[in-house]
Amino acid sequence: MSVELLRMTDGEDATFEDLAMPLFASLYRYARSLADDPAEAEDLVQETYLKGLRGFGSFAQGTNFRAWMFRILRNTFLTSRSGLRAVPPLSLDDESVEVHVIDPVTPEAILMQRLNRDSLRRAIDRLPLAFREVLLLCDVENMSYKEIAETLSIPIGTVTSRLIRARQKVRDLIVSEGS
Amino acid sequence: MNRDLTAEELERYADGEIEPGEVVEMEQHLLQCARCSADALRIMQMKRSLREVMSDEVPSATLRERVRRQFTRSRPQWWMAAAAAVVAVAFVTFLATRTSSAIPELVDMHVTLLASANPVDVVSTDKHTVKPWFEGRLPFTVPVPDLSSTPFRLIGGRVVYWRGNPAAYLLISKASHRISVFVFRDDMAPRNLGEVPATITATAWHTNGLTFVAVAQVPAQDLQQLRSAFASGP
Repeated sequence: MSVELLRMTDGEDATFEDLAMPLFASLYRYARSLADDPAEAEDLVQETYLKGLRGFGSFAQGTNFRAWMFRILRNTFLTSRSGLRAVPPLSLDDESVEVHVIDPVTPEAILMQRLNRDSLRRAIDRLPLAFREVLLLCDVENMSYKEIAETLSIPIGTVTSRLIRARQKVRDLIVSEGS
Repeated sequence: MNRDLTAEELERYADGEIEPGEVVEMEQHLLQCARCSADALRIMQMKRSLREVMSDEVPSATLRERVRRQFTRSRPQWWMAAAAAVVAVAFVTFLATRTSSAIPELVDMHVTLLASANPVDVVSTDKHTVKPWFEGRLPFTVPVPDLSSTPFRLIGGRVVYWRGNPAAYLLISKASHRISVFVFRDDMAPRNLGEVPATITATAWHTNGLTFVAVAQVPAQDLQQLRSAFASGP
């Protein structure tokens, strides 16, 4: 396969489609982290694009488009039936968290030994939604704390503490499964 | 710094969220303190594992088509372009019925990585640092070219996952532009590259059992020049 593709730069203003389609795979991953059911995640993505398209006129140019789209998806989910059911029962916004990351048996070591993606997958699935989404935004979507704060409408300090607690929870779940 | 880093400092360090004023002191401590550096490494391993597992979810070509149709419908004078739209939809449907297209997903990765605080895991302009970094992380050797006599500059690299298989990602700059180069082993490479968004330039080539796909927002001749730099060998 020796391929010559392709093209092309044009000077037109970016349309909603130009800005939004590069986020397609990321939005789907976020939808899957929120909704249990793949079909529901697909509907969420489709509805997000529809709402984004309709509301694009009100989007403030120069602000963070990715955070805006993620926020639409999140709000759409939270007002759906399964979103209302998924409201976290824990108090997740305690910022005075102090977790020590040193464990005698490290979950990472267990992971390395077993090369077991399934146990991590199970741990992620068992996380409270607020932990799962913050890990996805940080570790998969590589959002900065500031961008995560903007997306979730929470203070940056809360992003930090929630990430610490989320990773600690993953470790705890893996260790409890491994012991 | 005469104390261990706190859990919060370690997490922020692993996430690339350290303030410029803190970095030097923190890194000096990490060089001297086995305990803290081991903790930082564990967090990075955790991040990597989470990224690998949570990146598994890939949207279907059917969903992409459903979403695209919304744009087509929303165009105010779409009926005037009916013939063109029919051709476009037929073309996209044709692509969707084959294996799903790679370019849109690679463009997604390009945009997402460039927008991130840490687009690369190994930061170096030196191919002798970046190339060995991939050893043990990938089941193939990544040919990192010598760009010193070209207008391009190596920024660094990382491992990315394509449909569950590892691939190399090289980030290269030319002036203020940044170029993503994905390197796949042939048997793990995308089969169908598909359409390229209007604002993006991409090129692909194949050599010595590896497939390269370069994605950027630069003129096409720049990517041709970069391709020649790869072809001239390490």
